[in-house]
Amino acid sequence: MIEAEYVAPSNLGELFKSIEGRAERVKFVAGCTNVLPDLRAQNPAPMLLVDLTGIEELRRIEENNGVISIGSLATMTELAASEIIRTHGPILASAARALGNPLTRNRATIGGNIADASPAADTAPPLLALEATIHTEGASHAKREIPVEEFFIGPNQTVLNQGELITRITFPIPKDPSASSHIKFGLRNAMAISVVSVAVVLEMQGNLCHRARIALGSVAPKPIRAYLTEKELEGRKITEEVLESCAEVVKKEISPITDIRASAQYREHVTGVLLKRALWQAAREGENSTNGNI
Amino acid sequence: MEQRVFSTIGKVTRRKEGIARVTGKEVFSSDVTLPGMLFARVLRSPYPHAKVLSVDTEEAEKMGAICVTPDEVPQIRYNERQVSIPSKTYRDRTVLPEVVRHVGEGVVGVAARTEALAEEAVRRVKVEWERLPAVFDPFEAMKEGAPAVHEDVMLGDVRLPIKNNIACVREVSEGDIEEGFSIADFIVEEEFRTGRAYHTQLETKAVVCRPEPDGGITVWPTAQSIHNTRQLLGRIFDIPLSKVNVVRVPIGGAFGSSIQMNTAVAVCAALALKAKRPVKLCLTREEDMYDHCKYPSIIRLKYGIKKDGTITAGEMQTVVDIGAHNIQAYPLLGCMAGWFVSLYRMPHMHFHGTAVYTNKAPACAMQGYGNPQVSFAVESMMDILAEKVGMDPVDLRLKNYVGLGETFWGQGPTVRSIIRSCGVEEMLSKGKEKIGWDKRGKPEEKRGRYRRGIGVGRSFHTSGTGAPMPGEVIDYSTAMVKVNEDGSVDYLTALMCHGGGTLEAGAKIVAEVMGVPLDKVGISPSDTRSTGYDVCTHATRGVYCGGAAIKKAAESAKKILLEFASRLLEVNPDALQIRPDEELGQGVIFLEGAKDKAITVGEVAKTAQLKGWGTAIAVESHRQVNCPPCFVTNFIEVEVDTETGNVRPTRAVAAVDAGTVINPDLAAGQLEGGLCRGIGLALLEDTDYDRDTGELTCGASLVDYKTYTAVDMPFVDDLEAFFANTYEPSGPFGAKGVGEAANNCTAGTVANAVYNAIGIRFKEAPITPEKVLKALKENGAAKRRAERND
Repeated sequence: MIEAEYVAPSNLGELFKSIEGRAERVKFVAGCTNVLPDLRAQNPAPMLLVDLTGIEELRRIEENNGVISIGSLATMTELAASEIIRTHGPILASAARALGNPLTRNRATIGGNIADASPAADTAPPLLALEATIHTEGASHAKREIPVEEFFIGPNQTVLNQGELITRITFPIPKDPSASSHIKFGLRNAMAISVVSVAVVLEMQGNLCHRARIALGSVAPKPIRAYLTEKELEGRKITEEVLESCAEVVKKEISPITDIRASAQYREHVTGVLLKRALWQAAREGENSTNGNI
Repeated sequence: MEQRVFSTIGKVTRRKEGIARVTGKEVFSSDVTLPGMLFARVLRSPYPHAKVLSVDTEEAEKMGAICVTPDEVPQIRYNERQVSIPSKTYRDRTVLPEVVRHVGEGVVGVAARTEALAEEAVRRVKVEWERLPAVFDPFEAMKEGAPAVHEDVMLGDVRLPIKNNIACVREVSEGDIEEGFSIADFIVEEEFRTGRAYHTQLETKAVVCRPEPDGGITVWPTAQSIHNTRQLLGRIFDIPLSKVNVVRVPIGGAFGSSIQMNTAVAVCAALALKAKRPVKLCLTREEDMYDHCKYPSIIRLKYGIKKDGTITAGEMQTVVDIGAHNIQAYPLLGCMAGWFVSLYRMPHMHFHGTAVYTNKAPACAMQGYGNPQVSFAVESMMDILAEKVGMDPVDLRLKNYVGLGETFWGQGPTVRSIIRSCGVEEMLSKGKEKIGWDKRGKPEEKRGRYRRGIGVGRSFHTSGTGAPMPGEVIDYSTAMVKVNEDGSVDYLTALMCHGGGTLEAGAKIVAEVMGVPLDKVGISPSDTRSTGYDVCTHATRGVYCGGAAIKKAAESAKKILLEFASRLLEVNPDALQIRPDEELGQGVIFLEGAKDKAITVGEVAKTAQLKGWGTAIAVESHRQVNCPPCFVTNFIEVEVDTETGNVRPTRAVAAVDAGTVINPDLAAGQLEGGLCRGIGLALLEDTDYDRDTGELTCGASLVDYKTYTAVDMPFVDDLEAFFANTYEPSGPFGAKGVGEAANNCTAGTVANAVYNAIGIRFKEAPITPEKVLKALKENGAAKRRAERND
C-alpha cells in the first residue's frame, strides 16, 4: 500500500509552488514505468507524488543553433519517431526503440530513464557518447547544467537534489563528418534489461578517426565513457588490429558484476565483441545504427 | 462411413469469445465483484523451511480484518489434483500448514474491506517461526541425514513415511534389458537436463468465494476443472456437493498450472466461510511465481543400436526435483516412461524414475507433462545415434518410430491403446523439403562469425487419458445439447478453454452434427450444479475427449429433433437430413430429392413446443477408449553467433498430426505458441534458488524471468505451420489433440540445430549464450591441442 499525496501542476511555476517546503518528500513521476514497481516493492514512507505529465513545456524536441534540446517528458516513442533525433542523434533513437516494449515506450520518458540512473539505463550510453548536458531546475528556480558524465554517481544515484527536476537534455550536433553506432545486447530482443550496451560517435578525417566518444551500459556501477579506449582509437585508421587493441583496452575501463543476466566474465568478453562491432559499423556505414541481434 | 466433407469443421471462423476478449469485456476471476465483498491477502513464509510456533492476529483483528490461521482450518491432508484414482493419490498438504516448506507458502489468510487494508493487516500479524534446515538439491536431499521436507504423507488412506525425501519411485521394464544391450553393436549413454521453467500464464491465480445462506459456497476460481475443485472443497470443508457450486470463469492461460485446485482457492474459501461474506483473493505475480513451476528433469539415457540403425534396447533413469509438494509426481513418472516407450521401438527397455522433495516452489504439469523433457533427451540421442551409425537423422527416425498398428502409452503404463492414425512419415518428408534439409551441411564445413544449422525433432502428445480399461487416471466428459425454439442450439459442458479454442471447437462440432450455422450455436455458461462431470481440460483432451461427448449429445438431440420433424413431414426420421442454410440463418431438415419435404429446425422446435411434444435435448457422458497420439514434427534453423554465444532461431517448420483439424487458424496458432515456448525451454527459461535464503534468484519477477516474445521468433515468412493429412477413426469427425504436442519436440530440435551449426552437443537446457561461448572456447582449445599433437 502506498500512502501519498498527489499533485499535478500544469507549469513549472505551479510545480515549485506546490512543493515549497516539502522538497524532501517529493517524488517526481511521469511515465511511472519504474516508479510504480519500485514503490510496490519498497513500501515507502508517505510521499508527495508530483505528476509532471501536464507540463507541456517539458515535452518539446527542437534544434537551435546546432544544439538539440529534448524536453525531459519526451517519451521513447517520440524520440524514436522524431526526425530531429533520427537525423542528429540516431543512436539515441536506436536506444529509445530498444527500450521495453511498445506500451512501455509510449509512457517511459527520457527524464525518467536518466533520473532512475540504472547502470543499464538504455538512453544513457547514447547521451554519454553525444556529450549531452542535463538541465535541471530546483527550488526557488535554481538552474543547473550538468554534463551527463558527471550526472550519474552509482546504481540509481545521481547528483540531483531532492526536489530538483530534469527539465531538458541538450547535446551539440556532432561535427561532420561523423558516424555513430549503438548496440544493445540482451537475453531477448524486447523487454530486456541490457547485458551490455555500447554507443559510439566517431569524428572522421578521411579514413582516420579524429575523435572518438565511446560509452557503455551495464558494465559498471553507472553508465560510463571509455576514455582510455577513445585515446587508443584517436588518430588511427580503423583496422581489425586497432579494433582488437580497443577490445583489450576497454576491459581495463569496465568493472562488470555477475548477476542473474550474465557473469562478469561474460560481460567483459561481450563488451569487447560489441565494441568492435559498433566501431566497425560506425566506421563503415556512417550513421547506421542497430539493436537487437548483433 | 466416416465423414470427410464438412460444412463447419475445418473452416476459419470468427471466434465466439473473441470480441469480449479484445474489447476487455471478458470477466475473469479477478473481475468478479460482489456486494459486500472483502479482499484477501496472505501472510507468506519468508523461509524455505520453518515451523510456525505461534500466530498472533490480535492487531490485525483490531483493524476489523478477518484472519484464518493454521489451527483454524480443517486438518485434512489433501492433494490439490484430483485426476488420479484415490489409491494412487499422494496427499501432503493442508489449507494452511504448521510447517512451511518453501518461501512463499501461505500461512495466514487475512481479509479486509480493501486490498490495501488487507495488506496492512497482514503486516500486523505476528508469526513466531522456528527455522528448520532446508535442502535445495535433489541429490543432497536423497542423502542420509538430509533435512526431511516431509516426515510422512498419505497415499490414499494409508500413512506413508517418507525416507530420504523420496516422494515416489516408478520402475517399468519390458523384455530383458541386458539381452537388449548385448545384441547391440553400439551402446551410447548420456545425461540430459532441462530447466525449472515457470508457466508465465497471463493471468495470475485468482478466486472469489461467496458463502451461501444455506451453509454452502459458490466459487469463481481460476481452474481447469470446476468439478474437481468442487469435490475437493466439499471434502475439505465438509459441505455436501449439492451446496458447493463452482462456476466456470474464463481463464487467462494456464499451461497446466490450474489442473490442480490452486492454493488461493482453499484459503479464500476458509476466509469467506469465517467472514460470512464474499471474499476475493488475487495472487500477485511474485506470489504466483512461488506457487508453481515446471518439473525439471535430470535424465540418464542409454540406448543399444545395431549398425543398420535398429534400436535394440533403451534405458532411462530420471530424477525429478518436485519441490515442496507432490502434486502429481507419480503419474508424471509413469507418463515419462510412456513418452520414452512410445517414441521409438525398443524390444527391451527399462525405466526408473525418482521424484524428490526439496524446499522449493512445488512443480506441477506444464505443457507436455514430462514430454518436452523426455523428448529433449531422446531427440538429442537420436541425432547422436544417427551419427554413430552413419545414418541421416531423419532416416534413423523413420526406421525406429512407433507408428500405425503399434501400442502407444498415452498416459503411462496403464493407459495403452493401438495407434490408428499416423502422419509421421508425411510430416518428416514434407518438412525436409520445406526447410531444405539436404542443404544443411555438416558442422565442420561451416565457417565464420555466424553459423547456421538445421535440426529435426519429433514427438507427440496423448489425446486425453482414455483407454480400453480403466487405469490410474480418470477420464470422461459430459455434455448437454438442446435445440431452441428459433432453430438456434445451446451446448453445455464443464470443459474449459485455456485460450486454444476448445469451446469454439465444441460449437463447431455441434453445428456440424445439427446442421445449423455456427453463429446459431451458443456456448452456455457453466457451473458444477448444471453440468455433468468432466475430469479436467488437460492432457490435450479437450477436443478429442470433450468433443466426443459433445458430438454424442448433439447426435442424441438431433435424433429427437428428426423424430419431431418426421411427424410434421410424414417421412421416416432415418431418411431425414439437416443442412445449414446461410440465407435463412438456420438449419433446414429435408428429404433428399423431395422439394416439398423440407422444414427449418426452428419451425420444428417451435411446433414441438406448441404441441407439447417437448424439447429436443440430450445429455451424454462419454469416455474415449483410446488415447491416440497427436504426432508433431519440427524442423528449425538457428544461427549461432560464435562471438557472443547467442543462438537465434531463423527459420522453422512446425507440423502436427491432429487428425481432422477443427479450428485451423487456432491450431496453427497453437503450433506457433508451442514453438515459442519450446525455443524458450531450449535457450532461455529456468529458475534457480538462493541457497541461503531459499528465494528465487530472479526475484520472482518477470523482469528477470524471461520468455521469448514475438520479436524473438523467426519472421512470419520464415515460419510455417502445417497439418498432416490424417483421420483418427476414434476421434470426433476424425480429430485428435494439438495443445501440448505443439511444444514437445522443440527443445530437442533446437539442440540438434545448434549441433549442426557448430558441432557442439548441448545436453543441458537452457542453452544460454554463456554456455555456448564457454563450449566454443573449450572446443577451440581442444582443436588447437589436437592440431599441435598431429
